[in-house]
Amino acid sequence: MRRGRIWARIRCALVVALIVPACGWAQNAGQNSSDPDQETIRQLAEQIKQLQQQDHDLLERIKILEVKQAPASPGTEADASSPSTSPQLAQQTAPLPAPLPAPTPTPPAVPHDRHDLHGIQWRGFGEVNYQVLNQRQPELATGGFVGGSHGNFYTGDFGLFLTSRLTAKTSVLAEMIFEEGDAQSYSVDLRRMLLRYEYDDHLKFSFGRYQTNIGYYNWAFRSAAWLQTTADRPLVMQYASDGGLLPTQAIGVSVTGAIPSGKLGLNYVAEYGSSDTVRPDISGDGFVTDENNGNQTNVGLFMRPDGLRGLQIGTSYYHDQISNNVLNASSGVQVPLPPGSLGYSARYGQTIVNGYVVYVAHGVEFLNEGFLIRQALVGGPLHFDTPAFYSQFSKQLGRVRPFVRYQYVNANSNVNSVIDDVGLRYGPSFGVRYDLNDYMAFTTQLDHTVRGGQPDLNGLQLQFAFTF
Amino acid sequence: MLVKSITTLLLLGLSVCSLDLPGMAQAEGVAVVVNSGNPAGNLSLGDLRKMFAGTKRSWPGGQAVKLITRGPGCPERAALLRLLAMSESEYKQYWTAQVFRGEADAEPLVVPSVGMQREALGVFSGAISLVNAPDVKPGMKVIKIDNLLPGAAGYAVR
Repeated sequence: MRRGRIWARIRCALVVALIVPACGWAQNAGQNSSDPDQETIRQLAEQIKQLQQQDHDLLERIKILEVKQAPASPGTEADASSPSTSPQLAQQTAPLPAPLPAPTPTPPAVPHDRHDLHGIQWRGFGEVNYQVLNQRQPELATGGFVGGSHGNFYTGDFGLFLTSRLTAKTSVLAEMIFEEGDAQSYSVDLRRMLLRYEYDDHLKFSFGRYQTNIGYYNWAFRSAAWLQTTADRPLVMQYASDGGLLPTQAIGVSVTGAIPSGKLGLNYVAEYGSSDTVRPDISGDGFVTDENNGNQTNVGLFMRPDGLRGLQIGTSYYHDQISNNVLNASSGVQVPLPPGSLGYSARYGQTIVNGYVVYVAHGVEFLNEGFLIRQALVGGPLHFDTPAFYSQFSKQLGRVRPFVRYQYVNANSNVNSVIDDVGLRYGPSFGVRYDLNDYMAFTTQLDHTVRGGQPDLNGLQLQFAFTF
Repeated sequence: MLVKSITTLLLLGLSVCSLDLPGMAQAEGVAVVVNSGNPAGNLSLGDLRKMFAGTKRSWPGGQAVKLITRGPGCPERAALLRLLAMSESEYKQYWTAQVFRGEADAEPLVVPSVGMQREALGVFSGAISLVNAPDVKPGMKVIKIDNLLPGAAGYAVR
């Protein structure tokens, strides 16, 4: 009985094993039948398939040639190291078949680079802000914010950014900023204009107006609010034209590159140029300080170890000479110095040492930067030290990125005559950035600032930032 | 015992016949392909990551790296995002930032088909791209990653 069941199973399995291939054979046999109509249909279908494939290949080649031709126009990337009529391309394009009688009207959807216009890559960044402070005393009244009001809207920086490749190793970069000033007036600032030459990964030159590579923040976010997590920059990293403490722009040469260091990922930066920083007093006294900087030197090192992706540790050393030339912001007339001051002829050697540890990966952003700014009287023992740091942490949770930041600046106004408007300031900021999509973000931020010798300052910032 | 063996063999045979061979090949991973004239034969995974992150922009001979990528939804795009440990949104934001920092001239070229990848690889001598291993076409030069080719045990680009 048991043996019978076993043989029945075997027979069943054999039948299945035989029936399946037999069905396939029968199907093939049917297809290969000598029926002339079926054979004709099969041949026609095959020809249609071949024509469709040829058409598809042709369209692909046309698109590739278009991609190739766009960079070949002046000012675009052309992979100039490869001959424009490379053997591969010649081989691929030479045997184009004769025109087809009925080409398919729907070409494949090739994603056009919407930033490219005649070989120039264009981008734009903008922001619309609303800020309110709990005092009427002007504070950081720049970027269009009207100090002394309860709160008002302003546009901050609107930037147009372009790059264009001249040869395989040479390119141009420019960043034009339309910055809102008082009474909704706008000034244009060519914030960056660089002619760049990349010999290889180890040696890259930039000539022109650059943003000084002091610290991480300047490099990572440049002037685009959309790239930032927070609604504003830490005070120490603000642009000098907005009351920041660092000389943020210079005209000269910048050399960067990778240092052969294996998995350590060491890089260097060296800059030599001329700055001329004019920074408004952030206390709202209506004065600006024209520093009349001498030529500046900045050298830096940073590493991005392979072992912990997202980690970047760096340091930089900056030096130049400045004056403490205080002017009336509206008239440009020199403000008389208080009795006992050193006078406008005094020059100060300015040294800025920076160190940072940054981790940006897996949706986490953890920024930590410290500065020591020393202004030492040339030919005398007098010097002012200003330590500053900020720490910022945020985490991406879907489209929401909550953040917290703490910053500290101590330019003791009792002894520091160069940045006496800053004094001691520290405090936290909290907020949330919400990414509406890949191009627009809305940020809400609360600030609490403790100020030496003045009441604490609370503020609310709402910002709509975008890129296009 | 004999019966079980026969049955197992038969079922195994049927299973093999019904296997999806392209799907099986997909498990080989994603090949890293370059222009056929590129002398490079091997890259470390770290260097590959740096290239696709835009931080390593030239080949050892000094030739500029040209990134050719596929669009969202393709297995090659998924492999690229895994390689960089980024989401699609993070990837877009990253490249916007890279361009704005001046670390790149433009975002990587995106092509919609393997055929166009092949064409682009032929056009740009410094080109590098990711191609699903079974889809590698003649004219594409597959290079090793950490001395391993797609399909080898421990091959990292998947």
